[in-house]
Amino acid sequence: MTHPAPGLAHPVLRLDGISKAYGRTRANQDLSFSVAAGEIVGLIGANGAGKSTLMRILSGITLPDAGWLEISGTAIDPRRFSPERARQIGIRIVHQELSLCASLTVAENFYVEQPGQGGLGPTWRRHYERLAEASLAAIFPENGIHVRRPVATLSLPQRQMVEVARAGVDPKLRLLILDEPSSSLDMRRSRELQNFIAARAAAGVAVIFISHKLQEVAAVAKRVLVMRNGRLALDGETAAIAVPQMIAAMAGEAVQDLEQTQRKSGASVGRVLVETEGPWARSPLALHAGEIIGLAGLEGSGQREFLRALQRAGAGSHSSAGIICRGSVSFVAGDRATEGVFPLWDVIANATVGRIAAGPLLAWLRPMAEQSAATPFLDAVRLPPERRASPILELSGGNQQKVLMARALIAAADILLLDDPTRGVDVAVKRDFYALIRQAAEAGKLVIWYSSETIEFLECHRVVLFHEGVARRVLNASTLSEDAIISASFAEQDAGAPGRAAAKARTSPPGSGPLSRDALFALVPFLTTALIFVVIAALNHNAATMFGIDLLLSAAVPLVLVSLGQMFVVGGSEIDLGVGAFAGLANVLSATFLVSEPLLGVVTLLLAVGAYAALGPLIQARGIPAIVVTLGASFVWAGVGYALQPTPGGSAPGWLSAASGVHLAAIPASVLAVALAAILAASLNASRMGVVLRGFGANPRAVAQCGWSPLAASLLRYAIAGSFALLAGLTMTAINTASDINAGSSYTLLSVAAVVIGGSALIGGRIAPVGVVCGALSLSLIGSLLGFLGVSTDYDAAVQGGLLIAILVLRAMEARRA
Amino acid sequence: MRRPLVWLRMHRWSFSAIGILLLWAMLSLATARFSLNSLSGVASSASFLAVAAIGQMFAVATGGGNVDLSIPSVITLSAFLTMIVSGGSNAGLFAALPLVLAVGLATGAINALLILWLRIPAIIATLAVGYVLDTAALLANRRFTTFAVSPILRTLASTHIAGVPMILLLAGALAACSAALISRTSYGRTLMALGQNEVAASLAGAHVGRITTIAFMLSGALAAIDGALLSAHTGGAFLGMGRPYLLQSVGAVVVGGTLIFGGSATALGTLLGAVLLVLIVTTMQIAGLPGGVQDMVQGVVIIAVLAAAGAGLSRRSV
Repeated sequence: MTHPAPGLAHPVLRLDGISKAYGRTRANQDLSFSVAAGEIVGLIGANGAGKSTLMRILSGITLPDAGWLEISGTAIDPRRFSPERARQIGIRIVHQELSLCASLTVAENFYVEQPGQGGLGPTWRRHYERLAEASLAAIFPENGIHVRRPVATLSLPQRQMVEVARAGVDPKLRLLILDEPSSSLDMRRSRELQNFIAARAAAGVAVIFISHKLQEVAAVAKRVLVMRNGRLALDGETAAIAVPQMIAAMAGEAVQDLEQTQRKSGASVGRVLVETEGPWARSPLALHAGEIIGLAGLEGSGQREFLRALQRAGAGSHSSAGIICRGSVSFVAGDRATEGVFPLWDVIANATVGRIAAGPLLAWLRPMAEQSAATPFLDAVRLPPERRASPILELSGGNQQKVLMARALIAAADILLLDDPTRGVDVAVKRDFYALIRQAAEAGKLVIWYSSETIEFLECHRVVLFHEGVARRVLNASTLSEDAIISASFAEQDAGAPGRAAAKARTSPPGSGPLSRDALFALVPFLTTALIFVVIAALNHNAATMFGIDLLLSAAVPLVLVSLGQMFVVGGSEIDLGVGAFAGLANVLSATFLVSEPLLGVVTLLLAVGAYAALGPLIQARGIPAIVVTLGASFVWAGVGYALQPTPGGSAPGWLSAASGVHLAAIPASVLAVALAAILAASLNASRMGVVLRGFGANPRAVAQCGWSPLAASLLRYAIAGSFALLAGLTMTAINTASDINAGSSYTLLSVAAVVIGGSALIGGRIAPVGVVCGALSLSLIGSLLGFLGVSTDYDAAVQGGLLIAILVLRAMEARRA
Repeated sequence: MRRPLVWLRMHRWSFSAIGILLLWAMLSLATARFSLNSLSGVASSASFLAVAAIGQMFAVATGGGNVDLSIPSVITLSAFLTMIVSGGSNAGLFAALPLVLAVGLATGAINALLILWLRIPAIIATLAVGYVLDTAALLANRRFTTFAVSPILRTLASTHIAGVPMILLLAGALAACSAALISRTSYGRTLMALGQNEVAASLAGAHVGRITTIAFMLSGALAAIDGALLSAHTGGAFLGMGRPYLLQSVGAVVVGGTLIFGGSATALGTLLGAVLLVLIVTTMQIAGLPGGVQDMVQGVVIIAVLAAAGAGLSRRSV
């Protein structure tokens, strides 16, 4: 509950002089404001204005360079702030990029974010299911969300509801930050969200509401903060500030210039360069050389997707339905870091790559010629000469953007595609860009421009208005005004005609139909195992006896265990190429030291598992590929084993060989071992620890933001994998009553194959222990089957490799169809 | 003060060059047994490794942690095919070489198809394809009858010119051509772009599919040629003869200074990395360390180099 005594006297949140710079970019500059208990504050600003940085600082993810925070009158050293601390204090954030783990269930997502409830026993799961159900129902009645289903099966609005409910339900909640919470909610759900916000505020919670929907901000918030270029541009009562004023404050002087520029008298229109229809436009659209075309609409209405489709159509590498492109294209990315710059290169290489890529693959490059070719364009974009030899990452965001613009201009394409190129750059650069864009159009290029700042569309000859993935209307230069574009965008929004996005939202959650196909897919490993066994039994009736089963399964037990170990690594989106060799090492250690000196044997085995587990944090901390590290490690394991025991030999400890002969009510040890292994892996996977590990596999950043340690998780992951491989080594000793360092090596690929066949996703986050056991059994039984069929063992590897490829092909085709 | 450090960082191959010089100096001082003769042996082994490793380098350069794990299987199969088809004659060699080259190129093309079209992670695709090739090698082993080596191939693989092994000259020429391909052609430039940022490369107009396919086909073809040469050098083919190249080809690439996540590759570095790795193994042999320990040390060296190079990468991503 909130603490009224100090809370009422002090504002819930007070910032003083918060500043944060990334290189030369000042994301936040000297921010100071406060939010009182029960107050709802709207926070708006263009992309790159610094809202996200501020939110990351408030939630403890990013540490500010200067300034301090005060929560309910208690000063907090921001340099010792962390997500855990923020959570303890009661600051909760609903992120814009959804931070749910898609492969976890709704209830598990509640657990990952709010651990420590539900007691010690196995009832924790029930607790979180009830918690999730209750909090969802309280905010969004009749939501149709099943809390035991994976989030992946939910529609986008449903996910957003889960996200809101998860943060809003926290009893310690003092400051609730909502970052674009309603972007995919319909009218009814948005209203329910607004009611919920009002109710929480009435109970004393401070709320910061970030949205691009200005009308909604005006409706929800009493006070609005406008950010621009990292600073607070405006702070006032929403009642006193009209929407155009908010926009003016967001846009600042650069775009105020735009309103003063001479209105263009229309373009000198050239030939048609782009034609579009079908899925992209409600009525056919022709775009001409010499035109500047704006792509408007609310953010995420399909403008960027259209731009990408144009790029693909122009590059000619993919067919794009509904788009005919009659010229070459070049693309200017606004998301510089992820879609624009090549971080290892300098300015010149970054600028010329577009032209190089357009040429033949074996064209000979001359660095001097390259540089002189680039110079006029770098002059044109006004990149300071002294910066031209610098590595690209040493440039400010604005200068990087100039280089990307130069890249597109050098390529001399007919069509210039701009993906919000002025995002987060300063006024001077913006002015330069507007001039460049005008010049490009005058030179006869077709410019197609997506911007998140509506006022920039005043530079365009025509503006195409997108809604739900479809171009719905075209506004001509004569009718262009910022108000017209905004009101038209919102009119489309309110009309709420179902379009591409809505259709996508409907089809994306695999509902009842696809789910049954999913279930069918989950059965494949079981059916395969059963089928192979039936065929074996038909060929050789002895296989169906207890003795026969024991014989068949004994050979399979090590592979089952190794595969389960591999499964946990794959669950973290990694692949372990050393797990088989490690099982071999455990085989050697248990057949030598464990026999001669049991204590030393136990110690060496534990040390080995410890070394194995240490690989996890090494991979995690250094950001290096697990496959190469584990491949290197496999030579270490095999090398140690080989050094200890150059030729196969040794013997099994008495208790171990005794254990392999145990029968429980006529059930042989091998069957027991397989069943126990499956139960052990399944319960590890279903435990709280397993939930967190799967969460890391699916969405590591989100889980880390909830306060879990990635290093600890990877240590645990590899410790589990190592332990399973250790058990595999012990069973190999028990079965063979001897050891051979090479005995385990063949299990490595087979374990990957078993994991894939068993139904685990290679991108991590989704693992299926029982399926993996079946996959391992199938692979192991195939060997016996081929033997019974009289096929030479030569073909084992090919059949197993082929089976792996076949399963992956099937999966890929299934994924493509969905 | 900082200039030499900057230069070293810009020329990552220099680390392996320094390593080679240090190790060589140590060996020369410590033991009289390390003669010019054994240096020639090192050069020859390193050259065979370098040919495969340069192929691996192209695969690694495509980025995203891609690695070609089918290289050992291609080497083994190619060695068998060369022996069987050529039958030890020069005339037979002209049938054998196109065949093994075709096998290598086809393997690379299939790898690329699985990776690009089916979006299977490179290591699984190449490992699975390698399995299928292993079976082909097993079958070839059954039909293996002759140990005769075609004279031309023997000349290429095992003779010396003025004391320098012919194979070293071949590997050197290959490294020089690869270096030119990487730094002076459109293909090399776009390959490095792809390795740094696939999305940005594609938006800049690079043909991602074509570039990746060529890289994996180069890897397959070089492994196939290497297998043919190895069969002449060892005077035969045997199962598992490519196996050491699994770790060592990746090792030479990484030790040579190519970034394991792609985007920056150095053919000269890969050649030097191969020499350094072989020199390390030779040192251990001279020191009388058992084979197991040699494997262990190689594994540790590669993990250590990766861990040390990883710092540069995490800095890059910020």
